[in-house]
Amino acid sequence: MHVLVVDDDPFSREMTVAVLEDQGYNCQLAENGMEAMEILAGKSSCDLVISDMNMPLISGIDLFRELRSQGVTLPFILLTGDDPEGLQAQEPKLDACLFKDFSLEEILPQVINEVLSRC
Amino acid sequence: MALDIKKFISRFVEEAREHIKRLGEGLDAMNRDSVDSENINAIFRSAHTIKGSSRMLKLSAITETAHKLEDVLGALRDGSLNYRPELGTLLYRGVDAIAGMVECLAKSGDGAALPPVDEALCASLAQAATGEVSAVVIPPPSIDLASDGRQLTAEPTSPPLATPAPPAATSAPPAQAKLSTSDTVRVRLAKLDELIKLMGEVVSSHATLRQRLLDLRLLESDASPQHWEQHRARLHHFGQTLRDDVQNQELLMDELHDKALIMRMLPLAMVFDSAGRVVRDLAHSVGKEVECAVSGAEIELDRQMIDKLSDPIVHLLRNAIDHGLETSAVRLAAGKSSQGHVTLSARQDGGWVVIEVADDGGGVPVEVIREKAVRKGFISAEQAAGLSDQAVVDLIFRPGFSTSAIITDISGRGVGMDVVKQNIVDDLQGEVTVETRLGVGTTFALRLPLSLAVMRVLLVEVNGLPFGFTAQYVDELIRVPHEEMLTVVERNAVIIRNEFVPVVLLADLLHAPKRLVKTTRSQAGTFDHGMLLVVVRVRNEKLALAVDDLLDERDMVIKPLPEHMRRLTMVSGMVITGRNELVSVLHAPALLELARQMRGQASRTEAASHANAGGAAYRILVVDDSFNTREIEKDVLEAWGYHVTLAEDGMDGLQQARAGTFDAVLTDVEMPTMDGFTLTSMLRQEEKYRDTPIVIITSREKEEDKRRGIEVGADAYIVKGDFDQSSLVDTLRSLLG
Repeated sequence: MHVLVVDDDPFSREMTVAVLEDQGYNCQLAENGMEAMEILAGKSSCDLVISDMNMPLISGIDLFRELRSQGVTLPFILLTGDDPEGLQAQEPKLDACLFKDFSLEEILPQVINEVLSRC
Repeated sequence: MALDIKKFISRFVEEAREHIKRLGEGLDAMNRDSVDSENINAIFRSAHTIKGSSRMLKLSAITETAHKLEDVLGALRDGSLNYRPELGTLLYRGVDAIAGMVECLAKSGDGAALPPVDEALCASLAQAATGEVSAVVIPPPSIDLASDGRQLTAEPTSPPLATPAPPAATSAPPAQAKLSTSDTVRVRLAKLDELIKLMGEVVSSHATLRQRLLDLRLLESDASPQHWEQHRARLHHFGQTLRDDVQNQELLMDELHDKALIMRMLPLAMVFDSAGRVVRDLAHSVGKEVECAVSGAEIELDRQMIDKLSDPIVHLLRNAIDHGLETSAVRLAAGKSSQGHVTLSARQDGGWVVIEVADDGGGVPVEVIREKAVRKGFISAEQAAGLSDQAVVDLIFRPGFSTSAIITDISGRGVGMDVVKQNIVDDLQGEVTVETRLGVGTTFALRLPLSLAVMRVLLVEVNGLPFGFTAQYVDELIRVPHEEMLTVVERNAVIIRNEFVPVVLLADLLHAPKRLVKTTRSQAGTFDHGMLLVVVRVRNEKLALAVDDLLDERDMVIKPLPEHMRRLTMVSGMVITGRNELVSVLHAPALLELARQMRGQASRTEAASHANAGGAAYRILVVDDSFNTREIEKDVLEAWGYHVTLAEDGMDGLQQARAGTFDAVLTDVEMPTMDGFTLTSMLRQEEKYRDTPIVIITSREKEEDKRRGIEVGADAYIVKGDFDQSSLVDTLRSLLG
């Protein structure tokens, strides 16, 4: 199971990766949306994208829209420090939108399971 | 739960510090220039990141503050809010509050130990985000902080904004007014590469020397008396080549040495970077508006110095804010901007680095200092009138001097400029100067030598063993005939320019083992021309150390002692001589301390032997401006059972005499502020001292001086050259009856 983690903030990225690796996932990292698209366009296989919302160049939500327009249908979970409900409302096609806080450790694995079982 | 949150705390602290620095710089830029959207965007992101990361670690106080900060910055970014200086001040407070909490976290490593969020600050920020910045006022700090029962501390707390002040302790993060320094050295890779490249050259140069050795062996085997002339030519050529090689090697070694020293260097940024925040914290706590500009932070200094610079610089910044800058009202009245400016700058000047702390405040009030110096008895009124303004300003470096009319919680608490001077001069071998212009401002300059590791060293010999002294402690080298040696309380002393200086054989002090075979040179040194003395000085205390011979004096690399020998207080480091000999560099302050202990023991034995001498009940006042002379006279008198009080000059003596009661007074003649003759005649005018024995002790041996001494009312006149304990004690005994 391979997960692509997209986050410009190294701290937050490492924290997310720590949660995922703890659950036995293999992680690939991207610092921004451009890098994420390059990785996805390359050969590496990926089963899930987890992206931060607030990033320079391309925001998480724009990344999601761009990927969908390119025909990439991988499940996509958006993380945000601001307002997950608002973003979910803005983009209902998102597989999930989560609030980035200390509960991420418990919630993220549950949500991943739900998202993957829906696919 | 498998995930260890604590592991991430230090990671967070590291990252948050970066963002805090960026926020500070961004706010500075906003303050300086017009508002630039790219800049606002960048600092908005920093606030946002801190908010997000702290939330993941459940550091809610940080999250909350960062969130509010982000809201204000967001409003600025969207243009729904316009930048104003008052808003800047508030934003700085927000950033500083976060910085305080992050540092607290860095110390405790536990999110639970974080103080609760500063509600008032958050409320002010929230209000500001809606555009109601006019409602945000920074409350003037109450002048008498002590009266509301709060402890005065040197730590600037963060009193809440815009609300009636609840006790600050509950809401303020413990922000220390301390500049941060680090434990590790970061070395640029390029520097390390240069060093490695240089090592390569040293290795190849070494190979050349090996080749020379082979050449020499060849020369040796070819040597035959028949071809002597030809052989000598070859030998000469060999010598020249070897000389070139050695010179080349020397250049490499020098370069290697320099490059290696550079590895120890750290940028001043280590100390300077947090200055802006310290200044704002301090300024806020005294209710002044201050902007701090920093330059030269890229200059590098030995890390040992960087560590020691933090305290003096904080003190100077405090001083500038507390004493230097006026309040806004005073500034406006003087036609200045309401905001004061403090500049912290560094520049290189030859082999020195000059660090300046400048303010554009009112300048040092020279007349106030002059008056105060007289009132405090540092100098006499006549002397004060004669001093140049600069000399008067320099008085602030005297211990116990403080110019603040009211004692505030920032500076003026007993320790002051004298401590700064001591740190810079004694610990770092630097200099401190102050320049001031009334109404324009004050600049303190710290001059620091660029490297501490290389110092001038004097090498001496004792019992055939070499020892070193660092030059800054060596006052002078003199040779004194044996007959000029005085014996006072079973030990030796010499008079150097009107001052008693105790003499100790360095060999005795160190218990240096005697060598069976002494070098002829050292014997000649001791016997033929008297004693060879190295006079060491630490502040005003002197000690003359008798040595056998002087060996060398030059710049040497001082190596620290290995870990297991660090507790040897007598030795401050090692140097290696040209002959590859290891030499201990003696630590002068420790030698003085040891000599003092030995003296103390001697005095006690002496005192015991004179227990019946009968001096026990008498109280004697000793007045002399030389520390060393005072101490020796005190030793002598105490050895005979007298109670001794010391005074540093005539004025001090007069005050002491008035304050207490003494059975006899011993005074020197030449002293600053008031000489011994004046002191004597003044004392004679006092009812208490009309008939008290007064003994003048001096190195002047002129008849007219003696006459003058008697005219002003002295009972006895002892010339220091004749001084020995019996003459002093006999004189006192006969006078006291």
